[in-house]
Amino acid sequence: MPIQRQDAASALQEIANTEKQSHTAYHYQKAAPHLFLWGLIWIVGYAVTYLRPAWYPLWDVLIVLGFVGSFLISFRTRGKGSHTSFGWRYAATVVAVFLFVTALFAILPPQSSLQIDAFFPLLIALWYVLIGVWTRGTRIALLGLALGLLTVGGYFWLHHYFPLWMAVVGGGSLILGGFWLRKV
Amino acid sequence: MDTKTEQPDPIIHQPQRLKIMAALKALPSREQLEFVRLKTIVGATDGNLGAHIVTLEQSGYVEVEKDFVGKKPRTRVRLTKAGRRAFEDYIAFLREIVGQE
Repeated sequence: MPIQRQDAASALQEIANTEKQSHTAYHYQKAAPHLFLWGLIWIVGYAVTYLRPAWYPLWDVLIVLGFVGSFLISFRTRGKGSHTSFGWRYAATVVAVFLFVTALFAILPPQSSLQIDAFFPLLIALWYVLIGVWTRGTRIALLGLALGLLTVGGYFWLHHYFPLWMAVVGGGSLILGGFWLRKV
Repeated sequence: MDTKTEQPDPIIHQPQRLKIMAALKALPSREQLEFVRLKTIVGATDGNLGAHIVTLEQSGYVEVEKDFVGKKPRTRVRLTKAGRRAFEDYIAFLREIVGQE
């Protein structure tokens, strides 16, 4: 039976909707394990910062572990024979962020460790919002927004408990966000 | 009334298989989608989706990879080159009817 013009148009619309949904689900599927990993790192790092401030250098170890872990997750979750050249992109991203933060702190040196504790979550929050905006991932954008608001709120209103706040609420938000992204 | 008498690819010309193909086409080349996510996107039952995937696999349009994550079985599906080409032809076929091309 010949296909009517209207049927063809609605099939094309259905295809467009499905592609959009799949595109979003794909990015959520990729992002969720990273959120679990970094949520755990935040919980450990900020809890140690709060309970044992002298152990602050532990952050260096945690951050290196986080980047290595993220790289391994990306490597393991990519499709077999995938053409996505994430290896050099990942390395370039890490180098770009490192150079940006180094330059920023050289120009605007932080006045307290609390500012550093707040700066990185804000940077991550901005990153998530931008990823969400550019990949049409509403949930990632909302997660970034929530993370940013929680960081700013904690910084100004819970000054003395800020690391503890970031461990529980910040790290917890990332892990809950990971579960949320998986539920698509 | 605008119609087209040429017949479309019968494998793709089925609402749920069309959705499966569209969902997989949205991924970067060679990337996979997990069965459970595909099920949500397509809105099919396990059995129904499984049967359609077998049909597409037998036609060489998709590849299925099964493994375990811990003790949990995982099935992932990806579009093959032939599948991508067939889907693009099908889209062109629909657009021709609509008059976009």
